[in-house]
Amino acid sequence: MGKGNLFVNGIDADKAIVLGNEAIARGALEAGIGYASMYPGTPASEIIAVLDKNKKYIENLYTEFSLNEHISLHGAIGASWSGIRSLCAMKNVGLNVASEPAQFLAYTGVKAGLVLAIGSDPGAPSSSNEQDDRWYSLHTFMPVLEPSNIQEAKDFTKNSFDVSEEFSFGIVVMAPSRLCHNAGTLYFGDLRDRSNIKGNFKKDPENYLNLFGMAVKNHAKFLERSELLKKFLAKSDFNKIINGGRSKTGFISSGVIYAHLMEALDVLGVDDHKILKLGFTFPLSEELFKEFFKGLDEILIIEEAEGFLEFQIKKIAYELGFKGRIYGKEFFKRTGELTLDGVMTGISRFLEKPLPAYFDFAVRKDKELSGKLPQRSGTFCIGCPHRATFYSILKAVGFSNANGKERDVVIAGDIGCYTLGLLPPYSAMDFLTCMNAGLGIGQAISIFDKKKKVIALVGDSTFYHSGIPVLINAVRNNADVLYIILDNSWTAMTGHQGTPSTQKDAFGIATGNAINLKDLVKTLGVSYIKSIDPNSVRRFASQIKSALKEPGVKVLIAKRECVLQEIRRNKILKKNENGISGTGESLYEIQKNRCVKCNECFTELACPAIILKKGVQGEENYYYIDPASCVKCGVCYEVCPNSAIRKVEFDLRPEFKLIEKKIDEELSEVPANI
Amino acid sequence: MKKFNIAIIGLGGQGIITMGTVMKNAALSSDLRDVSGSERRGGAQREGYVETFVKYIFYENRSEMSDPRKNMHSPMIESGGANALISLEPLETLRGIRYLNGNSTVIFNMTPYIPVSVRMNKTEYPEISFIVSELEKITENIFYYDFDKISIENFNSLTQKNIVALGALFAKTDIPIHTSAIEKILASGKGAKDNLRAFDIGLKL
Ligand code: SF4
Ligand code: SF4
Repeated sequence: MGKGNLFVNGIDADKAIVLGNEAIARGALEAGIGYASMYPGTPASEIIAVLDKNKKYIENLYTEFSLNEHISLHGAIGASWSGIRSLCAMKNVGLNVASEPAQFLAYTGVKAGLVLAIGSDPGAPSSSNEQDDRWYSLHTFMPVLEPSNIQEAKDFTKNSFDVSEEFSFGIVVMAPSRLCHNAGTLYFGDLRDRSNIKGNFKKDPENYLNLFGMAVKNHAKFLERSELLKKFLAKSDFNKIINGGRSKTGFISSGVIYAHLMEALDVLGVDDHKILKLGFTFPLSEELFKEFFKGLDEILIIEEAEGFLEFQIKKIAYELGFKGRIYGKEFFKRTGELTLDGVMTGISRFLEKPLPAYFDFAVRKDKELSGKLPQRSGTFCIGCPHRATFYSILKAVGFSNANGKERDVVIAGDIGCYTLGLLPPYSAMDFLTCMNAGLGIGQAISIFDKKKKVIALVGDSTFYHSGIPVLINAVRNNADVLYIILDNSWTAMTGHQGTPSTQKDAFGIATGNAINLKDLVKTLGVSYIKSIDPNSVRRFASQIKSALKEPGVKVLIAKRECVLQEIRRNKILKKNENGISGTGESLYEIQKNRCVKCNECFTELACPAIILKKGVQGEENYYYIDPASCVKCGVCYEVCPNSAIRKVEFDLRPEFKLIEKKIDEELSEVPANI
Repeated sequence: MKKFNIAIIGLGGQGIITMGTVMKNAALSSDLRDVSGSERRGGAQREGYVETFVKYIFYENRSEMSDPRKNMHSPMIESGGANALISLEPLETLRGIRYLNGNSTVIFNMTPYIPVSVRMNKTEYPEISFIVSELEKITENIFYYDFDKISIENFNSLTQKNIVALGALFAKTDIPIHTSAIEKILASGKGAKDNLRAFDIGLKL
């Protein structure tokens, strides 16, 4: 094996700054996993990405970016049954897709340890909902483990493989985005010997053939195993009781919220209370609570979302005959992220202890100001083909922001980078929920509202995830929808994992088995199908117009690679050729004297490289293409109705050098989302 | 136990996360030091708001380090809890105001990135003087520079602006980390020569 880095080679007592996600991955590595997979999703993506990136240095590690979460979890189960410790990761909503294998896992049990790492997203900064996946365990019976910090993310993950094997459950390791994307100190542990990671599937019909009476038997078996696990958890180190002083009030919390709690108590100067820190938040051990309740007459549960712990603990308290009061959601909100501020405020209200003056002042100041500030939302990268797609669609069906009148075309949104098209200035989506909801919902709308045309959008990664049956369904049932597949060849938003459309990787090496999307769609029964370069906006817009006139399911494939990947590859290739750049240089420029400020490029297309410059010495403000940002996609050139934008070919302007460096910087921080 | 909290804010693509990583690595040289702090990456598409926290924790002794009431830290900074705020975009500085208290130091970049809402003529971009006057209502320790310009003038590139700002942080606050710890990390990373120079330019501001 090659050299690698600390993530790969670090041994006991080494330390480094790592991301929560990387700590989870490292824990799994220390536990000797041989399988790791996921369908990429923020905030969990780095868990598998870091393993995938380093696998050339790691003996006997298989990694996979699966087409969806259902496949990914099944893969982990297959590996486990072959005697290979396996890690599967996904974002919170991924479990909806993987809920079927998750429902069966308790019945069949595992062979080698299996961990399902879930990145939850309270406040939904990168998701279309903020579901709390812990509730699933009330019926899947998968134990749930919640690390509070980077160190626990590693240690808990590592140790949970033993628990998984001993009690034959897949273990859920839950990490909210605050932990996934927390970067802090991690002390490494030792790695297991990896040379003997070899699969051997041993038949086990009693457990693996799960139907009829056998399923019922397996049901009874896992309920029994769950009871045994509870006994184990009454004594294990995963849960901790911190004894207090004289106070008869106790606090219960878990995960990152526990970290907020400890900081809040420190800031408020409170250290008299008994505290229960839960590592495992499912199942809960009655014995542990018997111990904790001793001497208390009041309990406060500090947790996020709807109150999964409170729901369970009140039941346990009733059964144990606890006479005190139990509080929770009266003091902490059910929606949005529960922040450190939120915990401090709740504790202060509960204990009737005032918050520090600086805190109150800052909160007030923020409230005063925040309403007055211009909102800022993300937008497509400069040169992104999705911008051209939305411009073309709106050109064909009308900009709603231009005149405020309602469009008579329904635009169905879906999940991916292009989701940003729902934001201003495009405002080009009428609904957005989950993966592949666009065409499914759009199909029915097309059947029941004949007055409106329906356009459904989908990205290539989302289409391959679960869109194929949706498209077949639309075709078979004579839907009247224009389906636009925005094929940029990558799962771009989560850090550029490949899709079946990916033809060349970032180094220019052919993947060899890329799918021809047009052929595939044709095979599914679509007869109206065209592939088009979205950057040819005029042609694309007229194509959309004529497609909308046709009956049935029409498919347009907007095919152009994600601009970031294209630039990245060109840079790498250029470097390999010793910096010799073959092409003549060019620049796009707005000619002040021709521009009439019609705003077509500035507000409708809204490429961020086009900026408003202050005129000097009485001169009017003017539009200007910032050469340091422009990636020369040429779309604005095509958009300008007044031929005010021109392409200049020339040698070397001093500002030209900026372009490459700026791109360097952009690439060093590839955004991750949804 | 002592703490020093830094909030770094700006937009996706400005090098905010790199700044946080460099600063956190500087904590590794001592065993009695801990560091935490989450990044807000979600929603960090082009031009979206990004923030990252760097929270240094200095323990008095080993027993404090193993005390469960002392050794667990939130990845967030509470309202008013920042010793320093660095903002790489002027308007965003005002969004970071919630982290400030009377003793905080603010360092912000003067080059604006105009949000879509302003582009569409729905709102107006605040003047620098307005930003400063709002900050002055809270703290006197306010420093602002055109880091974009400094970076372009010195490096013919925007890439170094975050490291220049990092230098300014060390120049203008009593951050209890030695500059040599940062220099050591910059020296071992990519683009070491430029970064060390950028840091030095910031230190001299
Ligand atoms: S060519 Fe025009 S649209 Fe394309 S990146 Fe440059 S300014 Fe933007
Ligand atoms: S589209 Fe042409 S005329 Fe209109 S604002 Fe842009 S450059 Fe000026």
